[in-house]
Amino acid sequence: MSSNTASSSGGSGDSSAARKNSKRPKYSKFTQQELPACKPILTPGWVISTFLIVSVIFIPLGVISLFASQDVVEIVDRYDNDCIPAPARTNKVAFIQGDAPKACNRTLTVTKRMKQPIYVYYQLDNFYQNHRRYVKSRSDSQLRSPKFENQISACKPEDDAGGQPIVPCGLIAWSLFNDTYTLSRNNTPLAVNKKDIAWKSDKEHKFGNKVFPKNFQKGNLTGGATLNPDIPLSEQEDLIVWMRTAALPTFRKLYGKIETDLDNGDTIQVTLQNNYNTYSFSGKKKLVLSTTSWLGGKNDFLGIAYLTVGGICFFLALAFTIMYLVKPRRLGDPSYLSWNRNPGGGR
Amino acid sequence: ELFRCLAICHTVLPEGDESPEKIVYQAASPDEAALVTAAKNFGFFFYSCMLSCFSVTESTGKVTSLVRKGAKKITLSIGDGANDVSMIQAAHVGIGISGMEGMQAVMASDFAIAQFRFLTDLLLVHGRWSYLRICKVVMYFFYKNLTFTLTQFWFTFRTGFSGQRFYDDWFQSLYNVFFTALPVIVLGLFEKDVSASLSKRYPELYREGIRNSFFKWRVVAVWATSAVYQSLVCYLFVTTSSFGAINSSGKIFGLWDVSTLVFTCLVIAVNVRILLMSNSITRWHYITVGGSILAWLVFAFVYCGITTSRDRNENVYFVIYVLMSTFYFYFTLLLVPAVSLLGDFIYQGVERWFFPYDYQIVQEIHRHESDATKADHLEIENELTPQEARSYAISQLPRELSKHTGFAFDSPGYESFFASQLGVYAPQKAWDVARRASMRSRPKVPKK
Repeated sequence: MSSNTASSSGGSGDSSAARKNSKRPKYSKFTQQELPACKPILTPGWVISTFLIVSVIFIPLGVISLFASQDVVEIVDRYDNDCIPAPARTNKVAFIQGDAPKACNRTLTVTKRMKQPIYVYYQLDNFYQNHRRYVKSRSDSQLRSPKFENQISACKPEDDAGGQPIVPCGLIAWSLFNDTYTLSRNNTPLAVNKKDIAWKSDKEHKFGNKVFPKNFQKGNLTGGATLNPDIPLSEQEDLIVWMRTAALPTFRKLYGKIETDLDNGDTIQVTLQNNYNTYSFSGKKKLVLSTTSWLGGKNDFLGIAYLTVGGICFFLALAFTIMYLVKPRRLGDPSYLSWNRNPGGGR
Repeated sequence: ELFRCLAICHTVLPEGDESPEKIVYQAASPDEAALVTAAKNFGFFFYSCMLSCFSVTESTGKVTSLVRKGAKKITLSIGDGANDVSMIQAAHVGIGISGMEGMQAVMASDFAIAQFRFLTDLLLVHGRWSYLRICKVVMYFFYKNLTFTLTQFWFTFRTGFSGQRFYDDWFQSLYNVFFTALPVIVLGLFEKDVSASLSKRYPELYREGIRNSFFKWRVVAVWATSAVYQSLVCYLFVTTSSFGAINSSGKIFGLWDVSTLVFTCLVIAVNVRILLMSNSITRWHYITVGGSILAWLVFAFVYCGITTSRDRNENVYFVIYVLMSTFYFYFTLLLVPAVSLLGDFIYQGVERWFFPYDYQIVQEIHRHESDATKADHLEIENELTPQEARSYAISQLPRELSKHTGFAFDSPGYESFFASQLGVYAPQKAWDVARRASMRSRPKVPKK
């Protein structure tokens, strides 16, 4: 009698249907790996059409992005070197840390009409807000609520002053940027609106409206700006903007916005207080005036990237077409099988 | 067919020297001599896979070990009885046949099958698929982790080498657990380069495993280059384009916004890569790829939406919502994964055209055939050929009770066919005659 027991393995050991007491497992497409499947083959047709589709989609997107970016008008003015008076330029650190008057006058020329709102930024270079010790030096719970005022352990060395906790503690708050800018056009002052410069989520959730600055900048070393102790943190927008630590060592932060149009040819007089010490680490400070588009500020990268990729894909589609014409290979040509090409050897 | 020719078991006594090339086989009859000669010929064909001969003594175990150590080939041995246990254990791959002679062979073996002819499926179909799947799964794991880690590595250059993490802790930890885990499992379960019937029709495809075509250093290098390229694209494109204002109200991104955007692009690119590398895409592929990306988004929504008093200081509260409120996010999300995968796409297009693998040619040859899965299934289900069905039907007659001959491989008539192919005269055994008689079109009373 033939065997009437069967064991199955890997799906291949089914017992005979004709035998009694079959131990065949229940058939299902899943366990027998016979699910309906799409079996794509990357034929030349597919390759070329994919490239064409990608280029057809990407090139218009690139054009749109580039137009958006080109519409943005941006004025950048580096002032950290020029705002040190000539005699003090040999020892800038001493100047900035000293008591000399730090006011500085700069002139900006508008080369193209700028529609309001015009955003005023300060840009810092070589300032590592993404340094590990810096990023962790804050206490979010303290920022949210006065109940957690004493949770300052992560804020060393700027955690307390004379036994009392500093609010807001930490190096990030301590190093708050403190250059100020006063703008005027044709001797009429330009109002810079400093409201609404921080993300709403920060203002409403991360920084409490019952938390007030305490003991701030009371130590020997002053790192930056002081804070008005009567204004709750949720309204200290400069602090909020500064505490959203930047990703890279070159970054911009929003200072305020101008709500009048600037015309071509306008000269803007900037009276700035050059307080912030970037000279100890060879950092740069720049003042930026910029309009925005729906896509943001002046950053051609997206537009150029889309256009480049779309162009490359188009070029590749052509190149592949030529390649397939010059060196054709019949689809499914058995002569390409390694045992037909090279009997006894192969790939 | 090839394996059917080898499916013969008779006593062959090997006399092994210490140098395995000089194993002399003492055959009990010219019949077996023909078998052994042919087996050796087939051994050359599968030059790194050799079938051991079957014997009633334990010396087959010694033969196998000799071949294994001396010739340095991968050995596979197959047997069904207790006498085969030593041989099964000595070989690299031991296959036991559960059957007449009990389960000892099965218990000692790596694989157990029910009939000898399932060996074709085991080797040519499932063994081959298994090799392909393992290679792809391993390569994909290295690739996805390399891509992920390299983005962080590029970031360290811009943090003053202070060791600041690029991604939030939980994003990082769950990357391998939730956001990229399932698609590769589905790939490992269902990947097939050609269907089962084609695998058996082109047994030469097995050579790709022998030659280790899918896991050479060259393959590893290609995947590693792809990982480096993709990590550079994800990192550089996002960090360069997120400088300055990113929406119409002039606001600026912070570190966690940028890193979450990079992470999102990375998760999408790495998951869609599975679709590019699959030869057969089932609906589970779509479900797991889409599901993983969706899982990431849902997790980000939840994680970024809640704050507790026990949050760490560098939390990513509201980051994903901030990101999604800008047009910039969507533009980047379309660009970055597409550019990341473009490199691989070009490579695959060129490689398939100019340097195709064998399985790719076979795929193309049979590209118009519908999914013959039903036919595959029927082939196994209906495993009794008409002769065998008749034989079985006859065996149900009372007088067929003692058909058992003590050998597992009930393949009557084959050795004579085989011998006749080689032009060797093979005297017929009594039991073969009986069996062959029962397989003729008109049922005959078997002589015993």
